[in-house]
Amino acid sequence: MAILLSRRSNLLAVVVLLLCQLFLYATVSSSGSVLKQGGGEEFSEELLLKPFPDRKVLAHFHFQSRAPHSSSHGRHHHLFPKAIAQLVKKFRVKEMELSFTQGRWRYEQWGGFDPLSSNNAKPPGVELWAVFDVPQSLVDVYWRNLTHTLSGLFCASINFLESSTTYSAPELTFKPSFGNLRYGTLPREAVCTENLTPWLKLLPCRDKAGLSALMDRPSIYRGFYHSQRLRLTSSESGSDEVDSGIGLDQTLTVVLQPSSWRTGKTYSVETNIQPSWSISSIFGRNIPGKCVIAKSSNVYLQLDNGLVGELKNLERENAKYVANTFESEGFQSNHAFKISVTPDKVFEEVDNLHGKSTSVIYGFSVEKYSDSQPFDLGLTWKIPVVWSCQQAPLHASRFLMGSGNERGAIAISLEPTESSEGLPTSHIIDGRCELRVDIFQVVPWYIKVYFHTLQVFVDKQPRAMADVVDKIRVSPSKDKVSPGVMEMILKLPCGSKSAAFSLEFDKGFLHIDEYPPDANQGFDIPSALISFPSFNARMNFSEDEFLNNSPILSKFQETSPVLSYTEVLLIPLTTPDFSMPYNVITITCTVFALYFGSLLNVLRRRVDEEERILRSRAGHKAGWISQLLSRLSAKLRGRPQEQPTSSLPHSFISFRLVLKILLVASIAVTWQYYFG
Amino acid sequence: MSEISPEVPDNRQDAPSHVDPNSTRITKPGVKRLVLTLSVLFSLVLGFPFLWKSVEIYRSSLPFGEISEMESNPSLSFPCRFQAVFINFNSNPSPNHLQLSILDKITELTSNSSQCGACANDLALSVTVDSISSCTQTHPTDNSNYYRCGAISAVDFDFSNDDDDGVDELLESVLGVKNVYSVVVVNGGGEGIRAVVGKYRHAWIVGSVEEEEEESVLVSRVAEIFVKMFVNGGTENGLIHGEFMPVGADRRIVLSFNLLNAEPNDWVYDWDFQRVDETLLAPIIKVLGPIANISVESQVLYHTPKSSFSYWDEKWKSYIFSTKDLPFFVNSNEWHLDTSIAAGGRSKILQFVVYVPSAKECPLSLLLPTGEISKTNGFISPMWGGVVVWNPPGCLNSETNHPSRHTMSREDLQAVFEVFMGQFRQLFGLKSNNLYIGASGTYHLLPSGKGFTEWELDVLSRQFACFNLHSCATTLGSLSRLVQSLPRMIIMDEIGKLVQFSLEAAKLAQSNASLGDNESSAVSSGQARSLAEDAFFHPSIMSISYYSFEHCFAIYSPFFLPVSMHVLLAALREWKRYKQEKAKYTAWKAKVKVES
Repeated sequence: MAILLSRRSNLLAVVVLLLCQLFLYATVSSSGSVLKQGGGEEFSEELLLKPFPDRKVLAHFHFQSRAPHSSSHGRHHHLFPKAIAQLVKKFRVKEMELSFTQGRWRYEQWGGFDPLSSNNAKPPGVELWAVFDVPQSLVDVYWRNLTHTLSGLFCASINFLESSTTYSAPELTFKPSFGNLRYGTLPREAVCTENLTPWLKLLPCRDKAGLSALMDRPSIYRGFYHSQRLRLTSSESGSDEVDSGIGLDQTLTVVLQPSSWRTGKTYSVETNIQPSWSISSIFGRNIPGKCVIAKSSNVYLQLDNGLVGELKNLERENAKYVANTFESEGFQSNHAFKISVTPDKVFEEVDNLHGKSTSVIYGFSVEKYSDSQPFDLGLTWKIPVVWSCQQAPLHASRFLMGSGNERGAIAISLEPTESSEGLPTSHIIDGRCELRVDIFQVVPWYIKVYFHTLQVFVDKQPRAMADVVDKIRVSPSKDKVSPGVMEMILKLPCGSKSAAFSLEFDKGFLHIDEYPPDANQGFDIPSALISFPSFNARMNFSEDEFLNNSPILSKFQETSPVLSYTEVLLIPLTTPDFSMPYNVITITCTVFALYFGSLLNVLRRRVDEEERILRSRAGHKAGWISQLLSRLSAKLRGRPQEQPTSSLPHSFISFRLVLKILLVASIAVTWQYYFG
Repeated sequence: MSEISPEVPDNRQDAPSHVDPNSTRITKPGVKRLVLTLSVLFSLVLGFPFLWKSVEIYRSSLPFGEISEMESNPSLSFPCRFQAVFINFNSNPSPNHLQLSILDKITELTSNSSQCGACANDLALSVTVDSISSCTQTHPTDNSNYYRCGAISAVDFDFSNDDDDGVDELLESVLGVKNVYSVVVVNGGGEGIRAVVGKYRHAWIVGSVEEEEEESVLVSRVAEIFVKMFVNGGTENGLIHGEFMPVGADRRIVLSFNLLNAEPNDWVYDWDFQRVDETLLAPIIKVLGPIANISVESQVLYHTPKSSFSYWDEKWKSYIFSTKDLPFFVNSNEWHLDTSIAAGGRSKILQFVVYVPSAKECPLSLLLPTGEISKTNGFISPMWGGVVVWNPPGCLNSETNHPSRHTMSREDLQAVFEVFMGQFRQLFGLKSNNLYIGASGTYHLLPSGKGFTEWELDVLSRQFACFNLHSCATTLGSLSRLVQSLPRMIIMDEIGKLVQFSLEAAKLAQSNASLGDNESSAVSSGQARSLAEDAFFHPSIMSISYYSFEHCFAIYSPFFLPVSMHVLLAALREWKRYKQEKAKYTAWKAKVKVES
C-alpha cells in the first residue's frame, strides 16, 4: 500500500528557518562538484592470478574498504558497508578475522612460505578469531554476541561458537594478546553460495561490476580450494592519525583447474606441459571494466620464484640460440610462454634472503576496459616447465594412532621439506643452532587428552620434554565446559631429520542430546596451527608509490610469520542406537504384560474341571487335527493316550472349523480391501 | 501346577455319583476367583486416573477470559478539557446556552467514530463570553486552570490583521495551560470567517458575527476544531489508522536514509548527510523526544535498479511510472537496505530512500491517478518508510559517456528532505499540508518550526499508547487462540506470568489514561506490549512444543493393551461362569426342595 504525498509541506517553515544555518556551514564544496571519495572512504579491488606446478591456477581476489574515523561515530556511510561499521562499534572489535573454507591447501604443491599461503591458507570450515577492546571480564559476553550477529550476517552456524566448549583464548602462540583474544573453529561447516552472497553484499558493487563480476558460482565452487575471508582492523583515533578508522579486507582465494585451452596445436606427447588458460576459460566470464566506485582496480599475474628460476635456467641453456630477451622485455613474450595482454607494470622481487631466484609480478590495470571491450588475460605455455613452490621449513602432518572406541593417540610429525638437509639453520641462540616452532592445538572436551603422556621424538629417538619444549601452556578440558588447549613453543636442534609428538586420549561419552545429526560420521578435531616465528613470509619490491596503494602488494610486503595448518582429524566415537529408549520401553512392557497375563490365568484356573471337560470331550469323536493335537500333548506329557470312547458326527466339527476359517478369511479380505 | 479349590473335591465326594456336572450343581458356587479377577480389574480402572495424571502435560493456566475481554475492547479513554472564549460579542449570548450547543455538536461528531484515544466519557467544557461590559463564564468542576476574564481584552490585540504567528504567541502567553485546549472566537475584523489552528494548544476564529445562524456556524466550527483537530489530530478517516504507529515497543525509531544509485556507470551521486543530520534532522528529533527516541543513520548504495517498468511519455517529456507500479517499485532483491545492527531489540526501522534513476530512465516521474505528475515524486509505505525519486539535474542532455561523481547540491537535498519530513508526518498519520477542509469550512494549520506542533505531539502520545494497547491485545489474543487450539502443548509458568504482567500493565495504562496521565500511560502500555510479545515469542513455545497423543499411545500401549485384554476377559469369563453355576445351583436347590 502506498500513499501519495502532496507537496505543500508545512515543513516549509523548518526549511526556511534552517536555510540560514545551512549557509553558515556552507564553506567548502559548491553544488555538483566532484566529491573527494565519499567522505574519505575508499574502496579498491584487485585480483592475483598465479599458475601452480600441479597444472592448477590460483585466483586471489582482494577487496579493501577503508573508513576513516569520523565525528559521526560511524552512522553515515558512503562506501563502507554500514553493517560492518555498526558491528565494529557495537562489539568494540579491535581486530577480527572470519574465514569460510572448503577443501585443503596443499602445502607441498602450492607452497607454504610465501605471504599468500601464510595469510590465505585456512583450515576447512569456519575459523573466527577476534580481539576486543573491552575489559577482560566482558570479552566472553562480547564474543557471544558477535558470533550471533555474524551468524545472522553470513547465513552460517557461527552461533555454535557461542558455547564455551568451542572457543578458546590462546595466549602464547597464536598472536600477541592480553587476554582479549578469542579463537574458535567449526571444521564441519559447509560453505556455499549462501555464505558468499552476504559477503558480496558488503562490496559497493557487489557482483554487478568490477572484478567480482568474475565470480560465477559454478566455476568458483568447482575448484579444489575455496576460501572466503573477511578481516577487520579498527583503531581509535588519536593514537595514529594515518591508520585510524576501520579497515575491511575481503579476500576470496580459489584454486581452479583450467580445462585445456589450446587452439589447433596438440601436445599429446608432452604430457607435463602446463595447461594454457585465460580468465574467460577459468571463470567462464570476462572482466567488464572496473567497479566505478573503486579507487583502483588491478589484476596481477604472479610467477613464483621456483618458476622464474626454472625459466632462467632454460634461458641460459638457450642463450646461445636466442638473444637475451628476458631482461629487456621482462619476458612477457619469450620462448616459454606468452601473455595475451601487455602488462602495465612489472614488479620484480628484490633482495630475497633465501637465495636462488626472485618472483615476478605483472600488473594490469582494468580501468581502460569496458563492457564493449572486456579484459581477458590469457597465459599460453609453449614448452613444458617443471618447478616447485617454496615450502615452509617443516612439513607438518597430524594423524591418529590406536584403534577401538575407547582410546587412541594424536600424533604430530614435523619433517623437513624439499632439498634442505635436516632442519634449516637460521636461528642461532647462545651458539646453539635451534629452530623455533610454535604449535597451537584445540581439542574438544569429549576427546580427553592426557597431557602427561606427551612424548617427544627427535630423529625417531625419544627425548626428554625439557630438551625440546621451551614453553608449554596447557589448559585441560572440563567436561561440557571448555575444550582442552595446548600451546607449545619448541626449540628443535638444527640438523635433525624429523620430530614427532604424541598425546594419548580417551574418548568420552556424550549425552544423547549432544550428538550432532549423522553422529556415525565421526567427530572433527580442528586443525592444529604450526607457526615458524623465526621465518618471515615477506616479499621485497623496489620502492614504488604504486606498491603502497595496492592492497595485495602491500600485504605481500608486510612481515608475517610463516604459518601452516594441519589436517582435520576425524575421530569416531561410540554412537548409541538412538531408537534404544523406545525399544527398551517396548520390550519391558511386553515382558510385564506376559507375566501379568499368565499370572492372572494361573490364579483363576480350575484344573479338575478342565480335566473333566477334556475327558468328556475326548469321549467324542474328534477331528483328525484335534486327535493329532491330543496325541501330541499326550506324548509331551508322557502319558498314554486316552482312547476316544464315543463318537459324535465327525462332519459337524469339521463344518464348524471350516466356518471359522472362512470367517477369518473373509474378515482378512475385507480388511485388505478397505484399509490395505 | 495349580492349586485346587478345596471345596470342590469335598463336594464332589459328597455328591451322588449320578449327578451330571454339566447340568446340575449341588454346592454353592465359590466367589473366590470372581473376587480376585474383579479386584484386579477395579484396581486397574482405579489406577488409570493416576497414570493419566502422571503423564499429563504441564500447562500453566492462562486468563483466557481476561484476554478475550481486553481483545474485544482495547481502548483508552483520556479526559478532555476544552474551553471556548467568545470575545467582543455585543449581543451577549448566554454561556450556558453556548456550552450546551457546543457539547451537542461534539457528541454529534464523536458518535460516529469510536476511535481509541477519543474522549468519550470524560469531557469538560468551559465557555466564557467576554465583552467589554461584562464577562460571564461557565465553570466545570475544577476552575483553576481556565481562562481568566478580561485577559485577552487587556492585551488589546488586533486579530484582524494577518500576523498569525504574533496572534499565536500572544494567545500562548495568555492561555498557556497544559492539558486544556482552547478556541478563541473573536467578533470583528473583515468579512467571512477565518479559522486558524496554532502551534500550541489553541485555535482562534475571527469573523464578524451578527445574526443568529452565524452563531450556530461558529458553534459547529468550535466543536469541529475540538474533535477533529485537538482530539483526532486532523487525520482523515481511512488514511492511516491508529494501529500503524511506527514506534518500537522500546520507544525507539531508527531512521535509515539511503541514497540509491540505480546505475553508477551513468553517474554517481553522493550526499553530505552529516550536515543534513546536524541541521535539518536534529531539531525534529529533539521535538519528538517525548514520543520516541530517534537515531539516524545513512548509507549510499550502488547498482540498485527499481523492479518496476517505466515508459516514455512525450507529453510530460519524461519516463512515467504510475501508482499501479508502486507495489513493485521497491526491489528487495537488489536494495540491500539492511536492518540495522545498532538498532537491535524492538526498535522500529523506517527506511527513507532517495532513488537516483539511471540515464535510461531519466527523468522519472510519478503519474497520479488524476492524470497529473506528482510534485513530490515520492510515495510512502506505512510502517516501512518512504521513497523519493530524485532526477539529477540535466539528465536529459547528458553528453558525457564516462561516469562522473557528483554530490547532491544543498538545494536539492533540502527539497528532498522537505518531502521526507512530510512523509515522516504521514507515517505518523498526521497531515502533510497546512490546510484542513472540514465539514463546516477550512482551517489553517499554523506550521511549527520544529515539524510537529504541541497538540499534534499530544495526539501522537495518545495514539502511541493506543497502538501499544491494541498490539498487546492482538498478541495476547493470538497466543490464547494458539494455546487453546493445541491442547497437548506444554506451557511454562513463565509464559503464564508474562501474560499476567502484561494484562496488569495494560490495566495500569488504562487507569493512567483515564486520569489524564499521557506519559505514564504510554510507558505502561509499552510495557504491556513488550511483555505480550515476550510471552508469544518465549523460546519454550518455539522448541518441542507438542507432545503428541500418538507418542504417548506408542509408549504405553505395549503394556496396557495386552494386560487390559487379559484382565477384562478374565473378569468377563468369571462373571459368566459364576452366573451359570449359580443358575445350576438354584435349579438343583429347587429340585431338591421339590423332591423333599
